[in-house]
Amino acid sequence: MAFNYKAFALNKLASVGPEYLPFADVATEAVPLSRLLRLALFQVTVGAALVLLVGTLNRVMIVELEVPATLVAGMLALPLLFAPFRTWIGHRSDQHRSALGWRRVPYIWKGTMYQFGGFAIMPFALLVLSGFGEAVDAPRWIGLSSAGLAFLLVGAGLHMVQTAGLALATDLVREEDHPKVVGLMYVMLLFGMVVSALVYGALLEVYSPGRLVQVIQGTAVLTIALNLFALWKQEPRDRELAQKMDTQRHVPFAEAWAGLVERPGMLRLMALIGLGTFGFGMADVLLEPYGGQALGFTVAETTRLTALFATGTLVGFGIASRVLSGPMDAVSLGRIGALVGIPGFVAIILASQGGGSLVFLAGVLATGLGAGLFGHATLTATIRAAPPGRIGLALGTWGAVQATCAGIGVALAGIVRDIIVQMPALGGLSPHAPYNYVFAIEIAFLLLALLLAVPGKGKTDPTDTDRKSVEVS
Amino acid sequence: MSDDPDKVWPTGLTLREAEEVHSYLIDGTRVFGAIAVLAHVLVAVSTPWLG
Repeated sequence: MAFNYKAFALNKLASVGPEYLPFADVATEAVPLSRLLRLALFQVTVGAALVLLVGTLNRVMIVELEVPATLVAGMLALPLLFAPFRTWIGHRSDQHRSALGWRRVPYIWKGTMYQFGGFAIMPFALLVLSGFGEAVDAPRWIGLSSAGLAFLLVGAGLHMVQTAGLALATDLVREEDHPKVVGLMYVMLLFGMVVSALVYGALLEVYSPGRLVQVIQGTAVLTIALNLFALWKQEPRDRELAQKMDTQRHVPFAEAWAGLVERPGMLRLMALIGLGTFGFGMADVLLEPYGGQALGFTVAETTRLTALFATGTLVGFGIASRVLSGPMDAVSLGRIGALVGIPGFVAIILASQGGGSLVFLAGVLATGLGAGLFGHATLTATIRAAPPGRIGLALGTWGAVQATCAGIGVALAGIVRDIIVQMPALGGLSPHAPYNYVFAIEIAFLLLALLLAVPGKGKTDPTDTDRKSVEVS
Repeated sequence: MSDDPDKVWPTGLTLREAEEVHSYLIDGTRVFGAIAVLAHVLVAVSTPWLG
């Protein structure tokens, strides 16, 4: 009989042991790692959608389709408009009534459909918007409204998928394993973003309208395929739960919201997440042009900067997953994340003041590490602070704050970058000066976040934090 | 016999469960149908066919 290579390979893999595979120790008897990894595929589609919107289409619309930059910015801001509704979606999924006992699956499925639908019409909407072919004679509103609808659908879809998906992942595992699941979900998001950025970059190197249609609709198909695969048999059908859903009182949104906000430290945590995400988020789009313009890096070298930043973030996730499974308080770890980020940004500023590229690289790695620690710790803190049975609401609120602040941060950084482009006309300033202002703003926001996270007697007193932030700003 | 809400049919589902599964199918068909119509209209605007 032939040697069974498959069984041999599987045995070898299994004997490597979970201690060498990051995040592998999250698996339990009931929920094996393969199932969690499969569920985490929804984060890959979310990551791909984010990269396509913010990175790829941003460039394609401006450069190849010659759509005015302000219109592009407006279109790309549309998905952001939907971010606050994550709170509501999370609440709806908590209170969902289903004969099957499902709470999260219906929302992930609906979100997937919207995401698919948005991507399916998006390439044609963009071509009409740019006046391709006969569309030059078409009334302007057709292109505008259909492109707007496409971006809204994708935004609504990915917010729904991520909110309900994270809630499902949290439902599936035991409480003490939540930090590891959060880490796994973050890693898969990062993975999806990195891989899709490389793939989109390679596919759209030579642009043609046909290629645009292929790439975007390919993303649509991939979205629905991966999400279906991720969702398959994840949430158990539960007749008892279904009966409970029927009889339990429907909690209105206002009441659930009031209950969440009343929790001690909840508002403070949300403010902390907002400030920190904003602080770290602005760096994302500015690191590469800063490296290029201020420090004279080549294009290939600046791309590696993003890889370095991602490496730092990944290490941050790993450390946070490990540390938070112990007795460590999640908010304190978030504070450490902000603390690591501040010297990172200082190093980045110093690099252009004669510090050299080694200081810069260390700074990039440190900010990445800080961002990873901060993101993981604050999400874990949110899950832990959630009232029982209101995980969806808490995760929705986290997502709303996080997505809104990250989006505003990226948009603001883009505006600042545009100002930088016009700077030579104004004259008098060195190329690195405007960047350094932004990095200084980021340090200020991280300091604010730090102050908010300081444990004190006034933890439940909102007026206390108000006073502190006034003093600093 | 179809009055009993707790009866599990050979599909493994009760009547209400089957109706819910069916509702996802209906919703999906509607959304995909609407998307397909819109996509065809947009393609026709930029590259018209049939004259």
